[in-house]
Parts: sequence; C-alpha cells; structure tokens
Amino acid sequence: MIAIAPLEAAQSRSLLGRTNPLVKLGLAALWLVGFVVTPRVGPPLALAAAALVAALLLGRVPPVSVLRGLAPLWTAAIGIAFFTALFSAANTDPAARVVLALGALRVTDGAVADGILLGARVVAIAAVSVAFARSTSPTALVDALVQQARLSDRFAYGALAAYQAVPRLSLDLAALREARRLRGLRGDWHPRLLVALLVLAVRHAERLGLAMDARGFGRGPRSHFRPRAWGPLDLVVGLGGVALLGAVLAWA
Amino acid sequence: MGGTARGGPPAIVARDFGFRYARAAEAALEGVDLELEPGGCLLVLGPSGSGKSTFALAVAGLLGGDVPGLVAGSLRVDEADAGVVFQDPDRQVVMERVADDVAFGLESRAWSLPAMRARVPEALSDAGLAGYEAHLTATLSGGQRQRLALAGALAPRPGLLVLDEPTANLDPAGARAFVERLAAVRAARAATIVLVEHRVDLVWRLADRLLVLGRDGRPIASGPPGAVVARHGARLVTEGVWLPAAVERQLGVAVDHSAQPSAVGAGPPVVAASGLAFAYERGRPVLLDVDLHVAAGERVALVGQNGSGKSTLARLLVGLLRPTAGRVDLLGDAPHRLAPADLAARAGLVFQDPERQFLATRVADEIALGLTSADRARAAPTLEALGLPLASFGARSPYQLSGGEQRRLSLACILVREPRLLVLDEPTFGQDRLAVDGLLALLRDRAAAGTAILAATHDERFVAAFASRVLELHAGRLVAERAP
Amino acid sequence: MTEITTTDGRWRTRDILVVAVIAVAFGVFFWAFGFAWSALGFLGPAVNLLYGLWLLPALVAPLIVRRPGAALFAELVAASLSAFLGSQWAVDTLVSGLVQGAAAELVFAALRYRRFDLPVVIAAGLAASAAAFVHDWIVYYGEYAPDVVVVIAGSMAISGLLLLPAAAILLVRALRDAGALSGYSD
Repeated sequence: MIAIAPLEAAQSRSLLGRTNPLVKLGLAALWLVGFVVTPRVGPPLALAAAALVAALLLGRVPPVSVLRGLAPLWTAAIGIAFFTALFSAANTDPAARVVLALGALRVTDGAVADGILLGARVVAIAAVSVAFARSTSPTALVDALVQQARLSDRFAYGALAAYQAVPRLSLDLAALREARRLRGLRGDWHPRLLVALLVLAVRHAERLGLAMDARGFGRGPRSHFRPRAWGPLDLVVGLGGVALLGAVLAWA
Repeated sequence: MGGTARGGPPAIVARDFGFRYARAAEAALEGVDLELEPGGCLLVLGPSGSGKSTFALAVAGLLGGDVPGLVAGSLRVDEADAGVVFQDPDRQVVMERVADDVAFGLESRAWSLPAMRARVPEALSDAGLAGYEAHLTATLSGGQRQRLALAGALAPRPGLLVLDEPTANLDPAGARAFVERLAAVRAARAATIVLVEHRVDLVWRLADRLLVLGRDGRPIASGPPGAVVARHGARLVTEGVWLPAAVERQLGVAVDHSAQPSAVGAGPPVVAASGLAFAYERGRPVLLDVDLHVAAGERVALVGQNGSGKSTLARLLVGLLRPTAGRVDLLGDAPHRLAPADLAARAGLVFQDPERQFLATRVADEIALGLTSADRARAAPTLEALGLPLASFGARSPYQLSGGEQRRLSLACILVREPRLLVLDEPTFGQDRLAVDGLLALLRDRAAAGTAILAATHDERFVAAFASRVLELHAGRLVAERAP
Repeated sequence: MTEITTTDGRWRTRDILVVAVIAVAFGVFFWAFGFAWSALGFLGPAVNLLYGLWLLPALVAPLIVRRPGAALFAELVAASLSAFLGSQWAVDTLVSGLVQGAAAELVFAALRYRRFDLPVVIAAGLAASAAAFVHDWIVYYGEYAPDVVVVIAGSMAISGLLLLPAAAILLVRALRDAGALSGYSD
C-alpha cells in the first residue's frame, strides 16, 4: 500500500523538524540552483554530504530511513551519468582523448567528467530531497504556506485533505487490478485502470468536499490550531544554509 | 428511550418539503411534513433510493451551493450549525493526525486557540477516542474513523447532529461502539438528532420519531415509533424497510429458514483448502492451518470478526493471493497459478463495493469484458435475470446506476461465466430488504444448479436465511463448523 | 419551486477537492506504475516520448474544472505528493511541476479561460512540454551534444503536441461517459 511515511515525534521535535518548512524549501531551491551552476563535482557532493549529515544529526532521521530514501537514487544516478557521458558535447571534440569506444560512439575523458558531474548532481538532489521529506510533514508545510506565505487556505487544506486519500486510492487501484484478474483479463495493468481510478477519485473528492463543507470549510477566516511563528532557529538555519552554499561554491 | 425533549418551539419543521437534483428527471424527495422537538431524535428509514440521504443533506443545510437543485415547500431548521457524519469512514478524514482532524471544524469557525485546546480532548472522549490525539488518522480502523468523524461533528457543540448511515461500512463491533456513543449524546439531549440508518436493531431505542420514506421519495409514515409500527407495520415490510427483529416477530413476518442442507453437498468439493496459512508480512500470520471444502450446490457462510481473516481467505480461494503455506485446490489446480481466463471460468469473487470492480464506462462493455465467445451469448440473459436488461441499461454508465443496480451488475459480470465457485464478500451491506430477498433467491437458484457458494458475512439474518453450513473464523483459525 | 445554486465562478470546495484528489490519483497511479519508468530509464532520451504522461494533471484538471489556476494547482499537488512519497527527485519535482503547471496555465489564461477545445489543449500541452524541456535542459542536459538535445526537444515536443493532448482529451471523455462529471459544465 502506498502511503506518505509519517514523521515520528523525534523527527518533528528535532532542530530540522522545527525549522520552518518554507526556509527548508527555500534553501533546497537555492542549493538546487547551486548544483546546476557549478561545473565542479566537489560542491554537489559536499552539499549532499551536508544534507545527509543535517538529516541524521539535526533531523534525527534514522539511518535506515535515509538509506531507504536514497535507494531509488542509484539506478537514476548511474543511468544519467552513463547517458551524459555517452551524449556529451565533449565527445564531438576531435582532439579529446578517447576513453571508450562503442561502435561508432566515442566517449572522451571530458565526457566521463561530465557524466560524473551529472551523477553528483543527482546524488545531491536526492540527498536534499531526503533531508527535506524526512524532516517535514505535509501538515507543517501547509500550515506554513497558509499562515506565513499567506496562500489560500481553501486550496492548501484542500490539498492536504486530498493527501489523506492516498492510502484509500492505492487500495482502490489494487482492488481494480484484482478485478482484472477475476474477469479473465491478462495482465493487471491497463490504461483503463487510470480511468477507473480517476472516477473513484472524483467520487472521493465529492464526498470529502461535502464533509469539509459540513465542517464549515471556506466559511470565512480560520483560526489556527497549530499556530506558526518565525523564530531564531529559522534565521540560523536559513543563513547557515546560504553561507554553506556560498562557502562550498567559493572553495571549489 | 430515556430522557425528555428540551421543550420549546420545534427544532425542525418541514411543510410539503421536496427536492429535485439538477438534471434529474424526478424529484428525490416529495411532500415531507414533520416537526421535531429540540433534543429529539428522528430516525429516517426507507428502502434504497427513497431520498433519505437527500433529506439528511437538506436538514444539514448542505443542499444548494455544491449540490444544485430545486426545492419545493419549506424546511425550517432552527439550528444554524449542524454536525454531520457521513457513511464512508475513508471519505471524511481531512488531516493527518486525530487532534488536528477534530479541530478542523473549530478552526473553520474561528475558535480561539485555548478554547480549541480544551474542547478537542472532550470531543474525543465523547466519541470514545480519549487519548488518541497524537494518533495518525491513517492507522485508525473503520469504526474508529467513524467515531473520529463523530468527534469532529460534535466538537463545535452544534445544536443539530445529522448522521447519514453512519454504520453502513462498519462491522458489528464497530457499529455497536458507534451507536453507544451516539446513545450517550442523545441521552444528554445535547443536540437534536436526525439519523438515517438501516441497522434498525441497534438504533431503534434511540428514536423519538420515525420518518419512513417510500421508493418514490414520498413519506409512507411519520410519527412516534410505536404508532408508526401499529398503523403501518405490514406495509413497511412489504416496502422493503428493515424493522427490528422483535418488531418483525410481533408483526408475524416469517423468518426464512429455507436453507436446508443441500443433498447435492455430498459430491466432490469444488474448492478445498488444506493446511492453508497466509501472512502479508513475515511473522504476522493472518490465517493459520485452515482446512475447508465447499462442494457443488453448497451454501456456506463464513463468519468472524473483522480481522479474523475472512477477506484474506476469500481471496486465497479464488487465487488472488498465493498461500504462504498449505494448498488450495480449485477443481484440480492451485488457483493462484491459473491463467486469468481459466480462473474466471472456474471461480468468481464479488466484493462489497461494486464501484471498485468496474473497469468500463458502459454496462454493455462491462459485462462483455474478458468474455470468450462462448460466454458472450450468456451476457444478455444474465443481465435480464438480474433486472438489468441490455436494451435499457446497455448504454448507461455503471457508475451512474443506483447502489442496488451496481451490485446486481457486479454480480452479473461474475455470473455470466457460470463459475463453479462463487464467493461473495459482505453481499448484504447497506442493502434494503427487497434487495436481500432478491439476492437470496438468486443464490438459492444458483446453488440448486450446482454452483458452490461461499459468503463471507457479518449479517446474522442473512446467514440464517442463506447458509446450509457455517464456518467460523477467529484470529485466523477455523474454530467452528456448524449448521446455521 | 425555487432554484438554489451558486454560479459566481468562484472555486467551490468540491472543485478544489476534485482537482486535488485527481492530482493525487495520478500521483498514486504513476508511483505504483512508475517503477517501470525507472526500468525504462536506461533507454535514454527517447523515453521522453512518454514524458507527456507526467504532464497529464496539468491538462486534465482544467478540462474538468474550468477555472483559473486548475493546471497550476494540479501540477503542484501531484509534484508535492511525489516529493513526500519519497521520490528521489523530490525538490526538483516541485520546480518542474511549478514551471510545467504555470506554462499550461498561461495558455488557458491567454484565452481568458473561455476556450477548452482541441487547439487550446494542444497549445497547453506544447507549452507545458516546452517548460519541462527547458527545465530538464538546464538541470540535466546542459552537457549534452547539441544534436542529442535536439532529439530530446523533438521527442518532448511530439509528446506535448500529440500524446499529451490526446491522452488528456480521451481521459476526460471517458470520465464524462462514466458520468463522473455530471456536476461540471460540458
């Protein structure tokens, strides 16, 4: 069953857990820009390490959880590194040293460097993603977006309510796949499954929307059960993150 | 029937009230006249399609706006604020954590933080979920989720509580727990209650007044329960309305005990399990060492609490799951190894929720899905036999059929192949009497024709009328085998 | 009889939920199905022909709920869901989702949300794919040889021009046939 892994108390009470999600998101976006602009392998890897350290130490994320979060990364990183090396512009340079020749394709050392760079970038993106996802709950993010970024509460809480549909929809999808087998249909994947799932999604949305209206949703200004305020921690983490980015980029 | 109403002007007054949904050919509700005193409890009964939900939505003030349509007559509800509990436990949860979910309605009404912090634990306690504040809503059982919905509805201290079939998707234990909480609310006369329910045995004692709607959306009867039963009792039964067992006995409604042990049951089993065990995860077995068999023509009921493994067993018998240990034999083969086409020819499983089994957007396509040319000839007659003739239903969408029609369609889609084994998972949930009678007749015919039938069910009345043999599961083991 | 409806063009609760839950359903479907995607990943850039599928929420949502912001909201919900489900691209997915949704949104906005017919859907598909391409180029394909970049751009364009609009329109039509959209304008 598919579900958003919940944050344990240890994680939500940790330093990283208590840092404002908007600050974390902003830092992640900024670091992403950093990963993309630097031509060197060092910065992404250093920042990836920093992100993982932050997750483990500041976020109290269990190592197993971090490893699981990184698991899908390796095939992607290797794949992208491989294709970058294969298709790199550096391969067209006739003067470059050829490292590998696959039939008509040549892979130069410049291309290999490019491949490694992209691989490092993917690792960095994944590390930052894990650090963010394992230290932030969707509720905290939505609260911050509504209370501090002043986004529409109807849309934000509507999205949060829709998230609660994930387990049910994944069970629905499993049930539909079973139904295919029971009807003698070969294979349990088919585009028609998407249609069926979307119909169930619309049903779910209509019922849930009615339930939310019955609870006064959208009636007027809301108060907040989980009030949020900016704090010194946010400033420290924010500035620290920016400073680290600057330092790593400058050092490289 | 404890407690007295609060006195004062009526909380709800309906005068010739009716409602027609936008784009509907006919009115869902017509000519409703009633008065309900403050703090009173109105129980709304009626067969499927009688407009009960429409009435509940109207009282809750949810018609119009998101639910467009035309109103007739007048409905005056004194309370501006209504708490509502709907029937699907999965489709009312809004937040990740229990306390946040309860507080959601309070936030919408701009309550102050200290007031919310004080009120949330109280509301949870009233709903029987004391101490659950930090729990993840996703880990709650269906029964707990319904009580969470009740807590959320009660939190703002509404003067009116509307419940639309709140126990429809709950097992008996969950239903009882929910009704207990509701009874406490009613005893305190904290709110006027409008309750739509099928499970009359549980809620009859709560009702101060009944409103019985007929299939056409017009009231058949309304008034205090005793009076309604005295004047209209027989008619209610023929209209398909469930009444408490005691009342039905009084009215002389014959309980159907025609499920005799079938003579055909002596033949070789259609499906047999030996030493069957299953675990979804290592170390957490759901089924242990189950031995059973169902022979052609037998009608077997599988009973047991939620969590006893009934659904899992049903799935194993039709090859949707692979046994962790032991074997299942379906006419000579292990069902999980069969190719889909072979499997469908031998066995079928009909789930509780028909909408999760539809794979097409037209009835004609739905019935034809996966059929071999030999089976195709049976499509039209099967639909006909289930009251869904191809001529009128073929072009319609399965999703737009009524609940009863959807169930019959999902049954038809399985029966069209004339499988030797038919397994049903909770076939009577939320069904009115006429639908259940129809199902019983159908199953009896199929069994007589040689189909082996197994029904996993909580419904005691159904078991009494349907089964020639009852298997009881408890914590994954078959603990009893008996006559009904 | 008195008619009670609201037609003030504002998003109703149910509109918000329909877009959000559909986006979530896409997310669940792709997540369950998507490990096949990773397996296909080794096919390289040509896999971008299928790219259009990830942009479906941005087209399907506005076709169903014809109000401003549907495309952007749908993409943001789908992207943020995949981030929380544990996608290794999480943060980057949010950026992609934002630009793709915004691009589609701009097309519908340019027509004042009054036209939702085939040419508009194609234009939105193309815009969303173009935005996706630009994002991917910056983040992943910067080092690629120009001719390879052209192949990728081309396959994403084909995807956005043909596959995506066709899939979106067929999906919405199927939903309409199923009667799921009876509360929405045709």
